[in-house]
Amino acid sequence: MTIAVNGRVDTVTAPELEAGLKFGDATCVVIDLANVPYMSSAGLRLLLSAHKTMLGKGGELQIANVQESVREVLDITGFSDILNLV
Amino acid sequence: MTFALSKFRSFLPAATFAMAAEFLMGLSDSIICGHILGETGLSAVNLMQGVFEIVTFVGMMVTVGTSVLFATELGAMHVRRAQGYFTLGTLSAVGFGLLTAAVLAVVRTPVIAAFGASQAVSDMAASYWLWFLPAAALQPVAFFLGTMCYTDGDARLSFCSYLAQLLGNCLMSVPLTMAFGAAGCAVGTGLGSLAAIVVLLFHFRRNGCMLGWSRHFIYSDFLKISRMSFGDASKNIGKAALMFALNAYVIAHFGSEMLPVLAVVVMTIGISEMFDGVANAAQPLASVYIGEKNPLLTKRVMYAAMKASLAEGCGVMLLLLAFPGLMLSLVGIDSPATVPEARLAVRIVSTALPSLALVLLFNSYYVFIGREKLSSIMTLLAVLGLPVVLFPLFGSRWGAHGVWTALGLAPALALVLVALYVLARGGRRGFPFLMPTDREAALRVFDLELDPASICGASASVGAHLGAQGVERRRASKAALLVEEALMVVHDRNSGKNIKAEVTVDLNDGLMLVIRDDGVIFDITDVDARVSSLRSYLVSELMTAIPSRRNLTTTGFNRNVFKL
Repeated sequence: MTIAVNGRVDTVTAPELEAGLKFGDATCVVIDLANVPYMSSAGLRLLLSAHKTMLGKGGELQIANVQESVREVLDITGFSDILNLV
Repeated sequence: MTFALSKFRSFLPAATFAMAAEFLMGLSDSIICGHILGETGLSAVNLMQGVFEIVTFVGMMVTVGTSVLFATELGAMHVRRAQGYFTLGTLSAVGFGLLTAAVLAVVRTPVIAAFGASQAVSDMAASYWLWFLPAAALQPVAFFLGTMCYTDGDARLSFCSYLAQLLGNCLMSVPLTMAFGAAGCAVGTGLGSLAAIVVLLFHFRRNGCMLGWSRHFIYSDFLKISRMSFGDASKNIGKAALMFALNAYVIAHFGSEMLPVLAVVVMTIGISEMFDGVANAAQPLASVYIGEKNPLLTKRVMYAAMKASLAEGCGVMLLLLAFPGLMLSLVGIDSPATVPEARLAVRIVSTALPSLALVLLFNSYYVFIGREKLSSIMTLLAVLGLPVVLFPLFGSRWGAHGVWTALGLAPALALVLVALYVLARGGRRGFPFLMPTDREAALRVFDLELDPASICGASASVGAHLGAQGVERRRASKAALLVEEALMVVHDRNSGKNIKAEVTVDLNDGLMLVIRDDGVIFDITDVDARVSSLRSYLVSELMTAIPSRRNLTTTGFNRNVFKL
């Protein structure tokens, strides 16, 4: 299952995205960030939460096509070591 | 309303009250002596107006330069330099206060004799002058500390100190005047200044107080302070000279009986001191923006100050045109021989007030930007040069009415002359602020009231602006992230409060972000701050990743500067 995200993920837009993240029975979910030029801590919290949900049910979460600017945020916080970036 | 304007408006009432209190303090002795000792007492205190101006001039000689340089150095993030100026200013205020008292003690008898007033008026003035000497030593210190406390963002305490001075003066002067005459009134004035100093000392216990002692100063700093101060204080020395000239001219040509009318005229011109509150309200902000080399925000503050000055000047003028009797009743003039002339004089002289308000504002502003000579020339033209040329000229033609008309006309004429000069020097683009315009294109300011939507909007705008300016996406995104995370932390720290913030993006020398807010004072750049959420963790990591960052509490609000 692949979920493509579009636009900025910030404090205001993150709750919208959170409401749309329904994984169902999928055991492998890919979140495609190709069209996400910006992500703040609100987006990071979402990714971390999704990662824990998938781990909890024995599945896997992959983060794909991370742009350089978002990658830097993941690196600064150490999230790139926790999340499965592909 | 923008952050700068809201700060300016929050400073304005306290600054205006401070100046009104100062005006009333100068006036209070005239009022008290006028009511308790009669027209002789009023005339005696009026002879002292020149001395009052000299004492104010001495206080300002130290204060204005120190406060401008202190705020400008803080604007440039040089804390030790700023505190060095404060230390030097304090030492100078104490030294100058004592020196002024000593000089006034020496010149007392010959100056009073030179006025040639009646024996009763001269005796009373001599007695007042003698007992005014302690006040002459204390007032520069009180004025200095009050202004510095205000410049450091403590407008409330500054306001309280003026209130203490005014109330202390009045409460002590009334019984002392009744008991000891003019001498008692002068002692009351000194006690008022002492009360103000005691109140101001509480500022040093305030959280975020940046006033401190530092030996980080050199002799040339003193000259710098004096040069800047002289520009602003020139109005007082100009007024002092004008008062001496007017007193001598009026006594010589119209006799001592015209002195009560002159006292009311002098008081009407003196109202313009209140308009200096506008410049004082603008000074802390404008100096910090000047220190940051930000003409955009400097002009924003000064345009607001111009509007406020004009509003105050026109408002008071209209009030006095309609009710000139207000000034007369203040000092207890009610004799039928004096009232008609005094009412007409108030009406004529009040027309000078709008121009005087602008003259005083630009007198201070040109000092802020280091144009002390222009500041002094404009002010001396308005308060001394043109009046001294015009009043004997008009006086010889139209008598006393001519003298009042000259005083009403001079400030407007001075303003026109200076405006023509500034237009010739700076062109229409530089008018009237004479600021370099080359930095403006690379500056952008975002104002917001803190809530998640406006914070994210500002963050997106910063990112988009930087992208449009050709900044690489990675840096633009980092700047946008910093804006959102830092301001959200401020928002969370001030939950339930209406907090204003200002983000300046400066691309003049690389990429610099200045983030200001008026929330609780705290250091967001502290990498050792307690981490309590993912957001605060990200902010802490961001701070580690940005080595060039500074936090400085400036004029009472948080200011964070980042170079990305």
